[in-house]
Amino acid sequence: MSSSNQEIHFDEILGQYKSDPYNYLDMHAVHTGKVRFLVEEGTAVEGASGEWMHKPGTRLYEINRERNTKVITSKTNGTISSVRSELDGHFVEAGEKLLTIRHPLKKKEIIEGILQEVLFLFEAPERARYYFAMDIQSRIDQKGARSVFIQPGDEIITMSLMKRDTPVYYTGEPGIIHSVYFTPGESIDQGKPLIGVCAEEKLPVVQKVITRVKAEWE
Amino acid sequence: MQSIRTHQQAFISQLDTHAFSPSAVEKILAYGAPVGAMIEHHARLDRCMDRLQQLIQEKEKQGQVLAAGTVVLADTLINSSGRFDRVWHAPKGGVWLAMAWPDILLPEFTRLLPFAIGMACCRAIRKYGIDARLKWVNDVLIAEKKLAGILCTTVQSLGGDRYHLIGIGINGNNQIFPRELEGRATSLRSELSRTIDLPKLIGSLLAELRWSIGLLHYDEEQALEEGESCEQGREGLLLAGWQELCDTVGQQVEYGFDIQQKPLYQAVAREIDPCGGLSMELEDGSRITEYSGEIIYIKQKRRDMPNNLSPKNGINR
Repeated sequence: MSSSNQEIHFDEILGQYKSDPYNYLDMHAVHTGKVRFLVEEGTAVEGASGEWMHKPGTRLYEINRERNTKVITSKTNGTISSVRSELDGHFVEAGEKLLTIRHPLKKKEIIEGILQEVLFLFEAPERARYYFAMDIQSRIDQKGARSVFIQPGDEIITMSLMKRDTPVYYTGEPGIIHSVYFTPGESIDQGKPLIGVCAEEKLPVVQKVITRVKAEWE
Repeated sequence: MQSIRTHQQAFISQLDTHAFSPSAVEKILAYGAPVGAMIEHHARLDRCMDRLQQLIQEKEKQGQVLAAGTVVLADTLINSSGRFDRVWHAPKGGVWLAMAWPDILLPEFTRLLPFAIGMACCRAIRKYGIDARLKWVNDVLIAEKKLAGILCTTVQSLGGDRYHLIGIGINGNNQIFPRELEGRATSLRSELSRTIDLPKLIGSLLAELRWSIGLLHYDEEQALEEGESCEQGREGLLLAGWQELCDTVGQQVEYGFDIQQKPLYQAVAREIDPCGGLSMELEDGSRITEYSGEIIYIKQKRRDMPNNLSPKNGINR
């Protein structure tokens, strides 16, 4: 991809964010069961809070299977933009889409969203706590993450789950660690990005995007 | 070595299998059969896990793979370490071993491997008539003093084969502990006021490892047949057995990823969820579930750490 093509690409993305600065989060049935909605369209919802994110967010729906009721709460703030109210009181299959939350994006989230279009995102293989491998941590401490070059096969992170430590080997494109999405020792859900890696030749473009969004976004 | 194998065989026939049908028992023992397939004994080693890694590499150079269930034993370890590079005190008289197990379980069951190992240790120790209990995840305690500890890591060979390395330390006949562990650790000899037969203890441990690791694999087979996961609320067989030995629920605990260096919060342990997570209730009544990290019991902490001072260099065994 040439630099000019990337420029056009980012213009399009920036335009999309400007016309609709929201993220739409679909919520699906966590398992089979009878569903009962606890919110309606237009309801404002909050995500989890507290020092350990231990205070649950707004209650969205409850699902009952074999007399066991599970209440599902919101992970993010926003407004309920749609609810499949025809399913209320009915049995649903696991994975059935139930409602959508419209989450207003902050400038930082927009920058991250755009960056994630160009960075290679290395995701958490399991819900666990993560910390950098000793060698990588020492290089980050010395020179900062954006000076640390990694390539496939490098042992970059240790995953700690149930008192079992597992080295995690990098599998993406070679590049520098541009973004770190976790704090060492923090619990991360499966599939969430741990780091964003940028090929060295893409770095100037990435920097340009950040500068533009910062300058143009109110 | 022969003595260990003889004891292992004898203990297989004494395993507590009452909750399972004969066909299930047969399957469980078949799944766990490789435990102790090869046993290597050393008078002194730096670390048993390092020796296992060396064996993995040597086999790979020969175009082979290390046999599942290979066990390395040492009378004493001179350069051992636990989690977070804590010192691992392993003098003569204890049971110090590591075992390699291939990474062939689904992730949902791999995460229960440390539970399986804890259960095996606890069951082996309870055969001496001692009320040993498990503290989440797998510390074996007697009256809140640590008697055995477990270290699990997963490694990948240069050729890409993945193994779980399971390190086990049991205080057998060793009775002298470093100062910072006094009052926090105990041994079988101290508890029983007699010397124990170490090969017999090792044989019993290997028999229990065969059972609990086999049970974990059998549990996986059953879950696949049922088409349900712990996330969907399936109560696993291994975890049910582990819970019978665990005394964590109901305890006032302090939690931290590295509890000695950075305790995070205090709570009351309320339940173990079907995936093995520890659900705790905070002071404000809200709940939090953790899937990694470690806990100490608050009354244990009060006794161990006068004036709320943490030891600078804890020992994890």
